[in-house]
Formats: sequence, structure tokens, C-alpha cells
Amino acid sequence: MSATAWAWLVVAFPLAGTIVISLGWRAIPGRLPGWIASAMILGSFVCSVLATVKLQDVAPGARHASSTLFDYAHSAGLNIGLSIYVDPLSLFMAMVVSGVSFLIHVYSVSYMTSDRGFNRYFAYLNYFVFTMLLLVLAGNIIILIVGWAGVGTASYILISFWYRRTTATAAGIKAFVMNVIGDAALVIAAFLLWKNAGHHVSYAGIFAGSKTHFSHNQGTLIAACLLLTVGAFAKSAQLPLHTWLPDAMEGPTPVSALIHAATMVTAGVYLIARFHPLYEQAPTAANITAGIAAATLFFAATCALAVTDLKRIIAYSTISQIGYMMVGVSTGGYDGGLFHLMTHAFFKALLFMGAGSVIGAMAGIQDIDRMGGFRKSMRFTYITFLIGALALAGMVPFSGWFSKDEILGFDVHRGGYSLILAIVGFAGALLTAFYSFRMVFRIFHGDAVPEAESLERGELFHGEHVNPMTGEHEDTDVGFPGAEHHIAERELPMKFAMGILAVLAAIGGIVAVPGVTHWLRNFLDPSFADSRFVHTQPTDTASWIGLVIGAGIALAGITTAYVCYLRQPGTTARLIARFPFLHRLFVNRWYFDELYDAVFVRPAATMGRFGHYVIERGFVQGTLVGGATRIVGAGTSIARALESGYVRAYAVLMLVGFGGLGLYFLLQAAF
Amino acid sequence: MTTLHLIAVVKAPVIDYKGISPLFAIAGGAVIVFLAALIRGRFAQRVLVPFLTVGALGAAIGLTIWNWHTGPSRPIIEGALSTDALALGLSLLFYISGLATVAFAWRSIALRESGTGEFFGLMLGSIAGMNILASSENLVTLFVGIELLSIPLYVMCASEVRRATSLEAGLKYLVIGSVGSATLLYGLALIYGATGATGFNQINNAIGAGVNITDPLLLTGIALATAGLAFKASVAPFHAWTPDVYEGAPTPVTAFMAVATKTAAFAIILRLFDQALVTVQVQWAPALAALAVITIIVGNAGAIAQSSLKRMLAWSGVAQAGYMLAGVVVGTKLGLQATAFYLAVYLFMNLAAFGVVIARERVSEHGDGIKSLEGLGSASPLLAWPMTIAMLSLAGFPATAGFIGKFYLISATVDGNWAWLGVMIVVGSMMSLVYYLRVIAVMWMNPLRIELPGRPRRAAREVRPVAGWSPEADPTAQPEVLLVTLVMAAATLFFGIVPSPLFHLAHDVGSSLATLL
Amino acid sequence: MTIYLSIILFLPAAAGLLAMFLPRRMAGWTLVGGSLLALAYSIVMLARFKAGGGMQFITNDNWISELGIRYSLGVDGLNLFLILLTTLLWVPASIASALRDWDRPRLFAFFLGLGETAVLGAFIAQDLALFVVFFDLMLVPFYFLVGMWGGEDRVYATTKLVIYTLVGSLLMLAGAVALGVMATPDGGHISFSLTTLAQHPLSGGSQYWIFLLFSAAFLVKAPAFPLHGWMPDAYREAPLPVILVFSAVVSKVGVYGFLRIVLPVLPQASVHFQELMLAIAVVSILYGSVLAFSQDEPRLVLGYSSIAQLGFILLGIFSLDPKGGQGAVMQMLNHGLVTAPLFLIIGYLAIRAEGRESLDWMGGMALRAPVLAGVFLIVALATLAMPGSANFIGELYILFGTFQSKIVYGLVASTGVVLASVYMIRFFQRAMHNPVGPHVESRDLALGPELGVIAPLVLIILALGVYPNFLLHRINAFAPTTNQALVALKR
Repeated sequence: MSATAWAWLVVAFPLAGTIVISLGWRAIPGRLPGWIASAMILGSFVCSVLATVKLQDVAPGARHASSTLFDYAHSAGLNIGLSIYVDPLSLFMAMVVSGVSFLIHVYSVSYMTSDRGFNRYFAYLNYFVFTMLLLVLAGNIIILIVGWAGVGTASYILISFWYRRTTATAAGIKAFVMNVIGDAALVIAAFLLWKNAGHHVSYAGIFAGSKTHFSHNQGTLIAACLLLTVGAFAKSAQLPLHTWLPDAMEGPTPVSALIHAATMVTAGVYLIARFHPLYEQAPTAANITAGIAAATLFFAATCALAVTDLKRIIAYSTISQIGYMMVGVSTGGYDGGLFHLMTHAFFKALLFMGAGSVIGAMAGIQDIDRMGGFRKSMRFTYITFLIGALALAGMVPFSGWFSKDEILGFDVHRGGYSLILAIVGFAGALLTAFYSFRMVFRIFHGDAVPEAESLERGELFHGEHVNPMTGEHEDTDVGFPGAEHHIAERELPMKFAMGILAVLAAIGGIVAVPGVTHWLRNFLDPSFADSRFVHTQPTDTASWIGLVIGAGIALAGITTAYVCYLRQPGTTARLIARFPFLHRLFVNRWYFDELYDAVFVRPAATMGRFGHYVIERGFVQGTLVGGATRIVGAGTSIARALESGYVRAYAVLMLVGFGGLGLYFLLQAAF
Repeated sequence: MTTLHLIAVVKAPVIDYKGISPLFAIAGGAVIVFLAALIRGRFAQRVLVPFLTVGALGAAIGLTIWNWHTGPSRPIIEGALSTDALALGLSLLFYISGLATVAFAWRSIALRESGTGEFFGLMLGSIAGMNILASSENLVTLFVGIELLSIPLYVMCASEVRRATSLEAGLKYLVIGSVGSATLLYGLALIYGATGATGFNQINNAIGAGVNITDPLLLTGIALATAGLAFKASVAPFHAWTPDVYEGAPTPVTAFMAVATKTAAFAIILRLFDQALVTVQVQWAPALAALAVITIIVGNAGAIAQSSLKRMLAWSGVAQAGYMLAGVVVGTKLGLQATAFYLAVYLFMNLAAFGVVIARERVSEHGDGIKSLEGLGSASPLLAWPMTIAMLSLAGFPATAGFIGKFYLISATVDGNWAWLGVMIVVGSMMSLVYYLRVIAVMWMNPLRIELPGRPRRAAREVRPVAGWSPEADPTAQPEVLLVTLVMAAATLFFGIVPSPLFHLAHDVGSSLATLL
Repeated sequence: MTIYLSIILFLPAAAGLLAMFLPRRMAGWTLVGGSLLALAYSIVMLARFKAGGGMQFITNDNWISELGIRYSLGVDGLNLFLILLTTLLWVPASIASALRDWDRPRLFAFFLGLGETAVLGAFIAQDLALFVVFFDLMLVPFYFLVGMWGGEDRVYATTKLVIYTLVGSLLMLAGAVALGVMATPDGGHISFSLTTLAQHPLSGGSQYWIFLLFSAAFLVKAPAFPLHGWMPDAYREAPLPVILVFSAVVSKVGVYGFLRIVLPVLPQASVHFQELMLAIAVVSILYGSVLAFSQDEPRLVLGYSSIAQLGFILLGIFSLDPKGGQGAVMQMLNHGLVTAPLFLIIGYLAIRAEGRESLDWMGGMALRAPVLAGVFLIVALATLAMPGSANFIGELYILFGTFQSKIVYGLVASTGVVLASVYMIRFFQRAMHNPVGPHVESRDLALGPELGVIAPLVLIILALGVYPNFLLHRINAFAPTTNQALVALKR
């Protein structure tokens, strides 16, 4: 079987899972849907590996293939095939996505057991994986958009999975609309490329066309690239389209792990990596993208410092980490960007799983101020979470250390504008290390909270069900969120998933150890062979220096956190007292939500009311309809007024008639 | 000697007895009816006289068809009457409306109060007048026709002698009608004065040859004649009498006036303007166009929000006259055909409507009020459908003759470079929707009943719509009215889908005036 | 075997007429039978249809030779699927009305059948006058259907509807007659055949005012802002099966008229007024969307959303670009296909909310009605043109066409895409999600009629989402000659 055939299977498996589970939603008993779903994802992981193996057989230059199932839309000079494109990049994504998804599916089987939406949940989850794989394997920009919007939908239905929570549904619509903005941008970009790059929608066609039709840094091309960036940023929650991601934490924790940490939100990174030839041809666009990404990574890190909701802290850290990847891929450090994408998928998924376990122990409470001292009671969670945090902080020798510093090292090496970005990146790294260990210390260290103590006594704390955001009660009899909670310590599947991810997060770095292994670069090179930066790579020594610096920064951050939270508790309180403004700024996420509410949401509502009351009632019904009616009515009343019933009145009328006619004809006679 | 001398001097006119036979049938019929009415006894009154009337009309129809011919007119009484498709065709319409009136009037109070013979005799007399009018060859016979038409009508309007409004209607019609006739007479006199001829063709030739087309005498004459005829055709602003008279007069008479009189008036208007005065079309066309527009607007405006069906139909009649006037304005063969066509259609749809009004006003406590139709759709569909068809046709909905008629008129106006008049017709129809649809709504869309989805299936079963239903609402109580109504409605529908027969008629009519291109 | 379009055309009316003379309880099902037969026959027609084969299955006889009106029917890439849409959607409509216990069901069946015939006639007619006849005839059955079986203010609503729309179509009547008369060379026999008219284009001046008359009729029908005054009342009062077909099918006749008549016959005016029409389209999109997400009555949400959707279709047509045209026709079908199930869903929702058709009374139904929720979600996503649905391809073609010819309008219009997502998701959430409404009794779709009526439509939506080219391949919005004329004029 050819690589593309395997790739088709990669897409087919989760789709089959969706259909089977959603049609058999009544028939399939107990946890079985979960296992079916997981099996499907495992299947597509295996297939993507096999596809990769197949692809590795051919010479590096020829490591790409595409296959079209049928004409998706072919008319009026626009020819869109339902096709997939297979090359190292897409397969790399496919493997990461399906691999991590598989683990998260397994985790979910336990985590969602007692949730009445169990079957629905796995149908959605498989649907998500299907669209995500369609996205990364798509053979042309239109199919890409199809997958792109598909993951948006999946994200929406999973965010508002617990749809009894008004907060969840609100978060859902917010995420959906912001994603649609991205879709619209992509459609416009697709048109610009189609029109100006020789009427192609396939990647190969577009790139070939852009070489010949576009001059370097041409305006239209920059516009197209910036529109792609808008799409990417909407999906990857970069400034200024990031506000939906923190709210997206309303979804079940595994969903946050899968969609809003490991896979979907990194689609933007993939998009830019995929379209790198265009960005390299339009450096302005690339620089703008990189600049905003750098700003994002710093901004998000500051929010993560102040926010106290556990899942939201991780969410902001995700935004920040994606910022790193964006900086990488848009400055030409593709390997670094994608490397970090992979490792981030590992450790961020791991962190969310740990968070889920802790939240389970807290009976749904997510506020870290209420947590503490879980170190003893939740050993396994503690260790795995710690590994995740170390990887996130970029500590030696965990995976994050290699990947993040490869990006920064590359940018330092490239110098100039990139150097500035790299410095921002290092600054961000310090904050990252700090907030990751803020979480660790606040949750697992310090003295134990009642929940932790009850757990030490061996019983899982079961508080009443309240919406963690609004605190309003929830009727668990309607089924979700589940009647009881689950923690890793007691659930083998959760242990399994977290364990594997912990290992990967720890040692994931070995795929690209400067001077030692170049597996990742060698694997990805065929996709970026045409890149201008293929040879601008820092020397191994340079990379190692960068790594050392990175490690130093990470260490500094961790120590600071240690001092603030364990050695001298209350330091942070003093800091807050010292810089109240900064704290308010960070806690309120720099007031972005308030801004959008004032600029878009409320005006839209006002427009709606205005349209309804003024234009609709006033103009359309009042003036147009009413006006016509009034005119006719006036005519009627005149006509009736003349109908007095008195002959004398009629005589007058006739005289008028005579007069008119006589006058007219006499005038005719005169002239 | 002297007698011989006299005979030698006085030269009897050549009379084509075949051609005049329909007129004889009608006039003779009138005489016979008058005489037969002297016979006392229920049978004579209820059966014989109506039968004779019908017979006379039937004979006239037969003779008319026997006389049918196309092309230029043939003289009947030299220089006085002539016959051509225009005359014959429109006469047919008079006879048909006459027949319908017989059916309508058969049970009417008017008949009982005024006496069968008088009523039907007068009606036949009036029809004779229309016949003369339609086939008149010169100004004198024109006037004779008009008077013979009008005078019986004045009486018929007042034939419900015990009802004040009926008498009032008669009086009003008399007064105003006489003014109209007088005006017309002046006009004709002035035209004669200007052209020195009374024959239509001679007038035409005279204007062509000697008389200047801006001759004030002629134009004043035309102005006055126009006004006079406008009275008869109830063209605004000379329409004022119409609603009152239509409402006051016994409904059968109203129906007769609405259809037959209007047709007759248009017959002579067509003749006068398209035959005698066609050469001065440039002069009168704008005036008539103005009148048409005013009529359309006033008629429709007046018809809106009328609570009496008769008044509403009167106003709508005014508006319809405006549409047909547009066909006259263009002064082309197509215009003539379109007008003739519309006259026929007008007859069908109006008679259908009046039939329902008559059938209802006799049983409903609301009389001819629009409320008398309430819930008719479910109470007696046999009446509701004809009314619906008539209203849709008057409003010009497709699949009814009214639509074809409007279509024809509009194409005539566009073809004659009077496109904006066509648009005016359309505007008029828009206004007319308001009151025509109201009638339909009253019949079908009351009483209110709301059904929510999810209402259990049994719910609506036993609900039977009964508003406006009364034991006498059974239309078969008056079979003759019902028959006419159904026939007319059927015709309206039929000619809306298969209009070709009417088109052939219109085509023949069009061929009759050689003066038109 | 040749296809006789007259059969498709008159079968429904015949069934309705038959129903008039059958027992009450049989009337509704007679019409269902009729509409099913019509559907079956039109599917045969689809099978026999040759893509790109121009006008096919032509019937062309004299009707009223004196007026030059011919009874000429034909099917081509433009109206093929619109005919199918009509015959398809009349099936659920007739089933829904047969299930419901009307008063005077025979009459209802008759008018519903007559309505289908009239709509089909407007789609099939290849003679301008014939088109006008059917276009106006369409109003008669709907006047009665709304006026006799509608809600509280039905008489007001239906009168408003008919007068409003007939004002437009009477103007069109005048325009049509003028067109026919003026286009005939002197002495020539008057003809309204669209092909003939397209061959003798009028001079600029008269094209312009006739164009305006036609646009009046078609824009009111669509409806487009600001000529939609009749819409809210009609949507609120009409019985569901009626408003279903009215919104899903009848609203397309207007925009169809632009493609069938205005562009081929009045190309010069079309180019001249392009910007005006595009502006109307864009305003309709924005206005419709904004009002759609400020409504509490589901019917009005759909009403205003269809103003927006038809704005998109109008946009595609007056991009005067083949892509736009293709997209427009595609959207006509897609909009019909999603509107019908949405109205059925409104019905189901109302049943579950004690007959109250207000979003405030709904909510939280998804829990015990997962199938309903799933169906609703699919349809809602298709309605907002989610990529992966045929609607997306339709909108994509429309936008591509508009970008190609007048990019500014395209860019403004694409904000409509975002707004659409707002009002549709809002609609879905307020009915299905959030805490349970006060009087909601959540039942899932009954396996019988409830599911049976809506399931096929949803399956069709999904199938077209997978293979939209099935439509695109056969659709041909602009005849080649029209296209050449437009291209030539645009230069």
C-alpha cells in the first residue's frame, strides 16, 4: 500500500469511530464506546506511522505525494479536488496528533466514566481527531479550510459539552465566532492566492505560482500572508484573538488537554510552517507575525503569573508556548518550532491530565488558592505533574529545554530583528519557569487542605456540584458533570496515559540534541528543502551555549518561585501590595475581554435593537408600509368626502369637469 | 295626383330588413311584453312575460349571429343605422346582460311592485336604445339612441316604488342624466355646426378636407360631447351619480346598468372618437388620457373602505371604465380590440359578482353589506367560489379573463406609445387589491380560529364554521340566480385559460372600423 | 423515454383538485401521493438530464397566439435543481399538513397542490408572459393558505403579503408587456419567448426602466431590504407547512427571475445597475443578520436570516461572474434544503414547549432529545455555511465571484459569514442548551413521522456536503451567450 493509501486510512479511522458511536449511542454499553474510540485513534496512529515508513523508502527529494478521491467542486474555472497531501511535515503532525489523542482518549475513558454524556463525548472526540487529521493531511487550501472549520466546530461542541452551564455555552459561542473569523480570513486568503498565483488551490500549485506571479514582498502576497496569519492566530489564540482560549477551559479537562493544549491550537503553527514559502517571499508579513507572537508569549506569561484558576493558568501558558512556536516558524526556525510543538504537546497534555486529577481530588474546584499539600496524598500525580512543569520550565534535561532553546538559539543566530524576539523569548522563559513552579508549590506543597487530608485518610472528597466559575449549583441528576470524580491514583487508564506522557515529556528531547542527534531535522528537511534558512543553523557549540543560558534562566525562575512560595510565603502578597496596578492588569488579563465587550459585543446588541426598533418598526413598517397606506387612505377619504349624496355637490363636480375639458380644448384651439 | 306627387317627392329610405331584424325582435318583444302584461293572473305575470322577454332576447341573439359579418359597416337604414361587427358584437353583450337581468329580477321586489310587464318591457326598450346607439351612423340617431336607452332606465331605477332610496336613485339619475344628455346634445350640435355634417364618415371626411383641426367650434363640440358621454360611462369627474344610483336602484337594475349601459356608452365612444373624430386624435387623446387617469385613481380610491357591496362595485365600475378608456385613447385597431375584449370580460365578472350580491341580500340581514358574505366560503361554497373568481378577475389575477383583458389593454397602450397609461392601469390594479381582496377575506377567512402545532388530532374535528350561515343561505333556493352566477364565473375562468374565442370576436370588431390603422 | 414537463407541472394541482372531491381524511394523503409522484418523475428527469446539454425536454406550443404568449417549457442547468427542490420540499410540507388536523382539509390540499404547480410553472416556463402568469398565480394559493389557516392576525398578514408582492409583480407585468411589444420589430409578430427576447436587446434607455420594474417584483419576493415589510407578519402568521415551502422555495423564484430573465434579456441594464444591486445585497446581508440575532421568535430568526441568505444569492448573481452565478444557484438549493428542516424543527420545538414559539420558553432540550439536538446541530451548521457543507461551497463560489468583480462588496459581505455563525449558534443554544426552559417537556423525535419527515432532508444535506460537485457539475447559471454579452458589456 502506498503512503497516501495509509494516509487515507489515518483519516478514515476516527470518522468511522464517530459514525459508529453516534449511530450506536443507545446500543453500545458501558465504557465500550470509549474503548472503540481509543482503538480507532490507535488505528490511525499506526497508519500514520506506516505511512511515514513508506515515505521514508523514497529518496528525500521525492518524499511527498498527493492523492485525490474525487472532484469536490469543479466549475467555472475553480477546480477543487477532495485530496490529501503527504510529506514529512503532514505526517509528523499526523503522528503527534493521533499519538497524543490516543493517550487522551484512554485517559478520558476513566475521567468521564460517570458522565451521562459518555457516548456523546467520545463521538465528539473522534470527530475532532478526524477533522484535525483532515486539516494536517489536506491536499489543498480549501480542504484545509474544511478541516480547519471542522476542528473549530469540534472545539465548540466540546467546550459547551456541559451545556447546562451558561458559562460553558457562552464560552462555546465565543470560541466558535472567533474561529469563524479565522475561517473567513482564510477564505479571502485562498481567493487572493487563487486569483494571483495562477488559479491553483493545491499547495504545490500555489507555491509554484507564487514564485512566478509574485515579486519579492509584493503587496498582495503580504496581504494574503497576513490573512493566513489572522486565521492561524484565531485558531492558536494569539493576540488579539486569544480571549476565547481561557474561557474554553469550561470544557472537560481532557478536552482542554487534547484540543486546547496539544493539538488544535497548534494548527496555526502548522499552517505557517505549511505556507513557509509564501512567508519567506513576503518577509514583512513574516516579521509582523513573529512580532505579534513574541508579544503574545510575553503577555500570556504575565497573565499566567496572576490568574488563580488552575486550568486557566495552564491555558495562558499554552498561549505563551504557542507564541514561541509561532516565533520559530515565522522566523524560519521550522525544526525548532515543530520540535517545540511536539514536546509541548507532551508536557502540556500531561500538565492538564495532572490538573484534571487534582481537580478530581478537589471535587471540581479549580482555584489554586484553595489547594495545597497534595504532595503525599497524590504521589503519582505529583511526580508526573512535576515532570511536566520541569519540561515546561525548560529545565535540564527535559524535552522543553531542548525545543524552546532551539527556537531561541536559532533566532539569536539569525540576529537582527530575530535577536530582539529571542530576548523577549528569554524574558518569557523566566516567567514561564516561575509560574510553572508557582503551580507545583501551591498545589502540592505547603500544608494540606481538607480535601488532601481526606485523601490521605483514603477517601476521595465529594463536595456538592457547583459551577467552578459562577458557583451556582448543578443538578447532577441530569448527568453531567459526572456524579463522582476520578483521580489518577485510582484509575489505571489515567495512570497509563500520564505515565507514557511523562516519559515522553522527560526524554522527548533526544530527537534533536545539538551535535548528537539530528533525527528530527533529517526527517523534516524534505518539507523545508526549499527554505532560505535551511543552512542558517547555529553551530552546535552556539546551540549548547544557548541551552546553558536557557537552563540558567529556568533555574532562576524556579528558585524565585521556591523563595516566594516555600521559603518566605507571603512574598507575593507584598509584591501585590507594592505593584497593585500591575497585579490588577495581569489578573484582568490586560482587560482584553472588557475591551471587546465594549467595542464589539455591546455595540452589536445595540445595533440589533436599533435595527429592530428604529429601522424595522420606524422605516420599513412605518414609512414604507404605513406611508403607502396613509396615501391611499387620504385618497379614499377625499373620494368619499365628494360623495355627499347631494345633487348640488355633484353639479359642482361636473362643472369642474366641464371647465377642465372646455379649457383644454380651447387651449388646443388657441395654439 | 297630389298623393302621387307626394310619393314622387318623398323618397322612402332603403331599409335592409335582415340587418334591422334584431332591433325589430327587441322592439317588437317590448310591445308584446307590454301587451301580455295586461293579462291578469299569476301564470302570465310569473311565467309568460319573462318567457316572452327571454324569447325576444334569444331571437335577437340568433338574428345577430345570423347577421354576423366582418369588415366595413353595411347600411341598415341609409345614413341612419348601419351594422358591423362592432355593433353586432356589443349588442350581443346587451342581450346577454338582458337575459341575466331577467333571471336576477325574477324574484325581486321591484318586479312585484312595478309590475312584470312594465319592468321587462322597459328593459327591452332600453336594450333597443342601446342597439340603436351601437349601430348609429350619425349624430341624430346617436342622440335618439342615448335617450331611448336612458329614459326607461330612469323608471327602472325607481321601480321599487315603496323604497325611498330607490325613488331617490331614480330621481338623481333622471336629473343628472338629463344634464348629461343636454351637454351631449350641445356638443353634437356644435360638431355639426363646425363640420356641416351629421354622418360620422362625412364628419371624418369634412375634418380631413375643409375644417381646420384647431377649429374652436369643433373642439368645443368635442369637449361637450366627451363630457356628455362621460356621464353615461360614469367617467370621473362625471361619475358622482354612480355610487348613489347603483346603491339605490334595485340590484337587478344596478347589474343591468353596470354592465349594459357601460357597454353601450363605450360602444358610442368608440364609434364617435375612432370613426368620426379619429383624424383629430392628437387633440382629444390627451384629454381622454387625463380623464382615464383621474377615473382610475378616483374610482379605486372611492371603492376602498366601502361597506356596501353595490357601492363598492359601482366604484370599481368607475375604475374599470378608466382602464377601458385607456384603450380608446390610443386610437388604434389594437386599442379598439382590447377595449371590446375587456367589455366582454367586464360583463362576465360583474354579472357573476352581482349575482352573488343578489342571492345574498335576499337572505342575509346585512342586505348588500359586505358582512352579508361573512363565512360564505364554508356556508355555501357555490356562491363563494363565483364571487372569489369574479374578485380575482376584477383584480387581474392570472388564470382569469380579467388578467388577459388587462394584459391586452396594456399591450395596446404600449403599442400605441402610451406606455405610461399602461403603468397607470397597473397602479390602479394595485389599489384595487385592497377592496377586492377584502371581499375574499370576508368570505373565506372568518371566523378566526387559531391552531397551535401539537393540538391533539381530534380537536378541530367537530368545529364547523357557521358564521353568516342561515337556513336560506342555501343557494339552490334561487336556482336561476345561481345558474347565471355559475355560468358567468365559469366563463370568467374559461376565457382566462382559453381566451381565443373572445379574441376572434375582438378581432372581428377591430376589423369593422376602416378608419383605424 | 422523453420527459413530459407538463406532467410534473400539473400533477400536483391535479392531485389537489382530486383531493377536493374525496373524503376529508383522505384529502391530505392524496396530495402527499401527488407530490411523491411529482418528485419521482422529476428524479427520473434528473437521471435523463444531460449535464451541459443546454435546454432539454422542451415543450413549445401556442397558448394565446393573439398576444404572442406561448406555452413553452424547458429544463437546463439553471432550473433543473430548482424544480427538484420544489418537488422535494413539497413532500414534507404535504406530509406535515396531512398529519395535522386542519379544518377544511380538502381546500388546504387543493391550494397547496395549486401552489406547487404555480411555483413549478414559474421555474419551468421559458416564455416571459407564461412566467409572469405563474409568478402572479403563485400568490392566489398562498393568499388563501395563510389567510384561512394562519394565526391570530392572519388576514392582515396575508393581505399585506399579497398586496406587497403583487405591487411588485404588477409592475413586472407592465414591464414584461412593454418588453415584448418593444422588442418585436415593426410588423413582426409579437413574441415573449425568452430566447427571442435575448436576441433583440432593447436600447439602453428602455432597458433601464424595465429593469427597475422587474427588480421591484423580484426584490420584494426575495425579500431584500428594504422591501421586506411583508415578511415578519407573514412568517409569524402562516401555518408551518406553508411558510416552510414559502421560505424554502417560493423565495427563490424572485432571484431565479434575475438569472432567467433580467441578465439574459437586459444585460446592459444589469451591468448599469450592478453596483446598486450589489449594495442592496450587502445591506440585506448585514441588516438581515443583525436583526436575526436580536429576535426571540424562531420563525423571525429564520425570516431575517433568509433575508441575509438571499442577499448572498443576489450578491452572487450581480457579481456578473460565472463563479458568482454558480454559487448563487447552489445557494438557492442549499438555503432551501436547510430552511425546510429548520421550520420542521421549529414545529417540533413548539410542540415540546407547549406550543409557544419563543426562544425564551425553550432551552435545555438537548438532554432528553439527543437526536433532535443532533439533527438541529447539523442543519444549523449547514445553514451558517460551515466548511464541509454544500452551503460553504455555494458561499465560496459567491464570494470568489464577487471578489473577482467587485472586491469591496465581497469583503463587506464576508462579515456576514461571521454574523451568520452568531445568530445560528445563538438560535441553537437558546433552544437546545442552557438550563431547561420553564415549560419544556423534552421528548426525542418520535421514530414515526417526526423523524421520517426530517431524516431524508438531513441525509441529503450531509451527502451534498461530501459531494457538492454533484450539483455544481450540472448547474449552469449563465448561458454562454449571456456570459459573452456581459463580458463584452463590462469592458
